[in-house]
Amino acid sequence: MTMRLVSAELVDSREILPDQWLQSFHAPELASGARAGQFVHVRTGDLSGLVLRRPFSFNTADPVTGMITIHFRTVGRGTEWFTRLRPGDRIDVLGPLGRPFEVDPRSRHLLLVAGGLGIAGVRMLADEALRDGRQVVLLFGAASAREVYPSSLLPDEVEYVVATDDGSLGHRGYVTDLVPQYEAWADQAFACGPHPMLAALSRVVAGRRERMGVATLGRKRGGGRSDAFGSTAARRKAFLQVSMEQNMGCAVGACLGCVVMGTNGQPQRVCREGPVFGVDEVAWEGTWSQVLAEAAT
Amino acid sequence: MKSRKRVVTSPVVRSTITPKRQRAGWPLRATNSRGSVSTPGTRSPVRIEPGRGGAPGTAGATTEAPPAPLDLSVDIGRGLVFANPILVASGTFGYGIEYGDVVDVNRIGAICCKGTTLKPRVGNPPPRVTETPGGMLNSIGLQNPGVNAVIEKYAPLWQAWQTKVIVNVAGESVVDYVEVARRLDGVPGVAGIELNISCPNVGKGGLQFAIDASAAGGVTAAVRRVTDLPLLVKLSPNVADVRPIAKAIEDAGADALTAVNTLSGIAVDPGRRRPLLGNVFGGLSGPAIKPVALRIVYETAQVVSIPIVAIGGITELRDVLEYLAVGAVAAQVGTAIFADPTLPVRLVDELADECRRLGLTSHQALIGTALPARRGSGAASAKGVEYRP
Ligand SMILES: Cc1cc2nc3c(=O)[nH]c(=O)nc-3n(C[C@H](O)[C@H](O)[C@H](O)COP(=O)(O)O)c2cc1C
Ligand code: FES
Repeated sequence: MTMRLVSAELVDSREILPDQWLQSFHAPELASGARAGQFVHVRTGDLSGLVLRRPFSFNTADPVTGMITIHFRTVGRGTEWFTRLRPGDRIDVLGPLGRPFEVDPRSRHLLLVAGGLGIAGVRMLADEALRDGRQVVLLFGAASAREVYPSSLLPDEVEYVVATDDGSLGHRGYVTDLVPQYEAWADQAFACGPHPMLAALSRVVAGRRERMGVATLGRKRGGGRSDAFGSTAARRKAFLQVSMEQNMGCAVGACLGCVVMGTNGQPQRVCREGPVFGVDEVAWEGTWSQVLAEAAT
Repeated sequence: MKSRKRVVTSPVVRSTITPKRQRAGWPLRATNSRGSVSTPGTRSPVRIEPGRGGAPGTAGATTEAPPAPLDLSVDIGRGLVFANPILVASGTFGYGIEYGDVVDVNRIGAICCKGTTLKPRVGNPPPRVTETPGGMLNSIGLQNPGVNAVIEKYAPLWQAWQTKVIVNVAGESVVDYVEVARRLDGVPGVAGIELNISCPNVGKGGLQFAIDASAAGGVTAAVRRVTDLPLLVKLSPNVADVRPIAKAIEDAGADALTAVNTLSGIAVDPGRRRPLLGNVFGGLSGPAIKPVALRIVYETAQVVSIPIVAIGGITELRDVLEYLAVGAVAAQVGTAIFADPTLPVRLVDELADECRRLGLTSHQALIGTALPARRGSGAASAKGVEYRP
């Protein structure tokens, strides 16, 4: 679906966790075309104060009701402006933007890994996967029990496993600790969260692509052939896809403000090549110049 | 130097350099627009094309006359004519294709594409952008695929557009600029060049071309020698006095000035207590810089005769009108596109409405109204040129 500029009406707004909000908007044009992993860029307030839109993942999108939801933390004036909206207020939304998660048609078991607000990035994939008859395990990590995403907001069919840093709920430790137990089960994994979490996850799954998941499923078809960097086919074959965050200007690929360094030595636009990337596309280790130097050799 | 004409030519042949005093007649007023807008032999920064509204003899000179067709076109010189005075600024509109169906590019006066260098550049480490009060900082670091890729990939698309595309050119040495300009010369789809001289000159210890009159004039003259493309040169606001620099660029043969580029600034990440941008330094843009940009256009308009295209913090029609009042013939919209991609096209419509409301056949009469009256030989008025903090 090509992007559009639409006016969306706020239907519901609630603080689901301390400083974390879930807002529902009526935006049928977006609800029917969006895919999990994509995002919207939403205009805030008046231009004299806040000049940039704010990007939000589609948290859910329901083509039947025409509703979309976004989930965000209040981190500044822009996000606070959203919390003051009342039902009936309209916002100006640009979307859907970016490339979605790519699920291999043969994948039965999807492992979703979310750190804190990263749940907003993978939440919609659970709906899509269940709709397509797949099984979903969601591993969720937060600092403590009071920041754990309420299970009531998830479909019943999702197996929900929680880790907290302080052990106040679920596993005591990082969410990445839980991944090895599910790796053999999963055909594909999808993650969203803070950069250190994603970098740690990339180390956990490093080198396992050959014997795990879709790579195994796909041994016969297209084995040996290497797909173009960042192509949909390559992403489907990656065991892990990650949804990245970066400060944004335009969110349509025009300003080059939102890049992360790619392992090919080329900056990748989070808004255009991303926000979803195959884990092997992102240079997790090394400084910008180190990666460049390495890619040059 | 070749002398082909490759951009739509205006029907009126112009002399190349116009002495400043010939401009003494403007700002033009609606009531005397007849005859003074396009009197043969004189040059005004905005030329009304005969056969369209405002040409001598075609429209009544008084406001009671039947409404004449509106003409918002802007003639920059060397055959570069914008259909209207609303442009989009370099770096904020990519190569004109990124906004897809959301923006009708053919309704924009002109598009200045992302800064283009001789070789591809990967740009600066992230984060590259951050919001600031009433604006934003960016430190893209001129990421671009290099001039050859731009010519191959984008120029063929531009050729099919009605909108003019001006390639914003950056470099680290005079040789770089000259070579990029040479390669762009004669490429179908490229309507002009905007020199971004806010770049460090490696040969001069990294001193920016834009902050030194002789370096700015030097690079302009060198580029002028290798191309007949309309040449716009973009002023930096990060200077103590812009006037000698603007003058040097005019004397070196630029067809127009664009003003301004971003203001140098930094941001600190409050949590980490470290510089926020990967490159530490960034360029400030958006409404926050408008008063500074207005002042620079105001100062520049009093010392040069070539047209000035204003840039800085435009978010509404009022901003455009203010820039026209201080002497700009056209304006570029930058940062505000991120919030409202439809703004440039809407400004075209709003400017047209405003002209109609005022009974004007063009925006010409709105230009320069806030400038101090000129006296005598055209020397800049003593009024309004000082900066006394
Ligand atoms: C993200 C971004 C990238 C820019 N890149 C360029 C560039 O490549 N070349 C250039 O001459 N100016 C560049 N600029 C400066 C703008 O063209 C313009 O001069 C400046 O932003 C002020 O206008 P504004 O306040 O309307 O944004 C850039 C500005 C922004 C915000
Ligand atoms: S935010 Fe502008 S290119 Fe991604």
